[in-house]
Amino acid sequence: MTETLLDIAMMHADSLISRAKDGDQNAQGRVVQLWYKRIYNFCYKFFLDHDLAMEVSQKTFISMCKNLPSLQDNARFKSWLYKIAVNYCREEARKKKGSRSLSFDVVWNRDAEDSPQWESTSHRNENPERQLQHQELSEVLQEALLELNDEQREVVIMKEYEGLKFREIAEVLNISENTVKSRMYYGLDGLKKILERRNINKETIGYGI
Amino acid sequence: MGYKASEQDLIAYLYGELEGIEKEAMEKYLHEHAESREELEKLRQLRNTLSHVQDKEVIAPPIFLGDTRQRFFGSIPYFKTILSIAASLLILLMAAKLSGLQLRYAGRQMVISFSGGSQVKPTETPTPAPSLTSDEVNKMIHSALNENNQAMQTSWTETQQKLDASITKNLAANSAKIDNLVRESSAASQEQIRQFVSGMQTENMQLVKNYFQLSSNEQKQYVESLLVDFAKYLQQQRNDDLQIVQTQMKSLQQNTDVLKQETEQILSSIISTVGNSNSLGVKN
Repeated sequence: MTETLLDIAMMHADSLISRAKDGDQNAQGRVVQLWYKRIYNFCYKFFLDHDLAMEVSQKTFISMCKNLPSLQDNARFKSWLYKIAVNYCREEARKKKGSRSLSFDVVWNRDAEDSPQWESTSHRNENPERQLQHQELSEVLQEALLELNDEQREVVIMKEYEGLKFREIAEVLNISENTVKSRMYYGLDGLKKILERRNINKETIGYGI
Repeated sequence: MGYKASEQDLIAYLYGELEGIEKEAMEKYLHEHAESREELEKLRQLRNTLSHVQDKEVIAPPIFLGDTRQRFFGSIPYFKTILSIAASLLILLMAAKLSGLQLRYAGRQMVISFSGGSQVKPTETPTPAPSLTSDEVNKMIHSALNENNQAMQTSWTETQQKLDASITKNLAANSAKIDNLVRESSAASQEQIRQFVSGMQTENMQLVKNYFQLSSNEQKQYVESLLVDFAKYLQQQRNDDLQIVQTQMKSLQQNTDVLKQETEQILSSIISTVGNSNSLGVKN
């Protein structure tokens, strides 16, 4: 897993972070190099939009470089960084919500499942098999992810793709570990239903790949 | 115990973040409850599906701190342009000052000039001075050059002579030293060779002596042992011979004894027979 590798790099980078804290620009650059891909991918999965993801990750790292001296515990760097990213993501999502008539972060609930809104949002994916044949499973999954609400999406991405511990996610979001776990549970449950609705299961994946 | 696995515990178990007693309890619970097991399996499958999402490759743009500074300055409007205009004006002024730029407006003439406005008048005055002195200057330069050359040459020759002298001295001293060294070393080496040779000779002599001594001793011993052995052998032989002679003598003795007895017996029998016949004859 990339996460474990990153964790190892992170251990080695402990001194790097303390150097970056002291204002060593070289070290700051290295930290950015080390984490940019993770933060970018987090943002990308959150928005499913390259430009927005680039913007948010750049903002995140600018803020990181500015505020690094205020970081007290180097071991908390990871959750601290994700916290910044999550905050910028939320900010950007709010802007987007205000500017667009059709909000993309439809608050997901079970009642809404049967509402006609579902039909309108999933009209692009009428033929998932064909998409799978074109090896776009990754994108289909990410679109499914996008249908979750923000809170669940954050947690699912951080847990499933960024490999943070539940404790770390709780730290990032400033909520209790149990809340994180139940968000994860409902997020996964929601994803399962979305994928069933889109007719994606083990067989179709096997067929697509 | 009535343990009921919550959604949170299930999720934590799914991601391997339950430990110790909690984990054991969960495993026991799963063992007993098939529907929870099924749910967990479904979640695992979902995770497996989700793992097909690929990370996008991206290269971090090297921007950050420089960017923030630029933003800071940029945030004050017109500050930059005003500053640049002021700077360029300052540069212009400096250039004008350095190049002696003069702008004059006299009568109806606009005069722009570098290095002062009196460039017209002095053209007449400086001409006679150089025309008068050019030959002199040339001469002076020549004489000065000659003097300099001579001085240089004398100093050159002096230094060369000195150098030559010192080199020859050094050469002589060095060659003498080297000769001495060579002689000493040759003498030393001759003696050394002599010593070495004599040492070798004595060593060889001793070696040969030792060898001879050793070999003669060995030979002596060998010959002695040979002689002793031979003597012993002779003795043995003689003993054996004596024994043989003795036994033969004994057997001879026995034979003669037996013969004697036989002859006695024969003689006696003869005598008896003769006696009998005589008596019979008499009777008859």
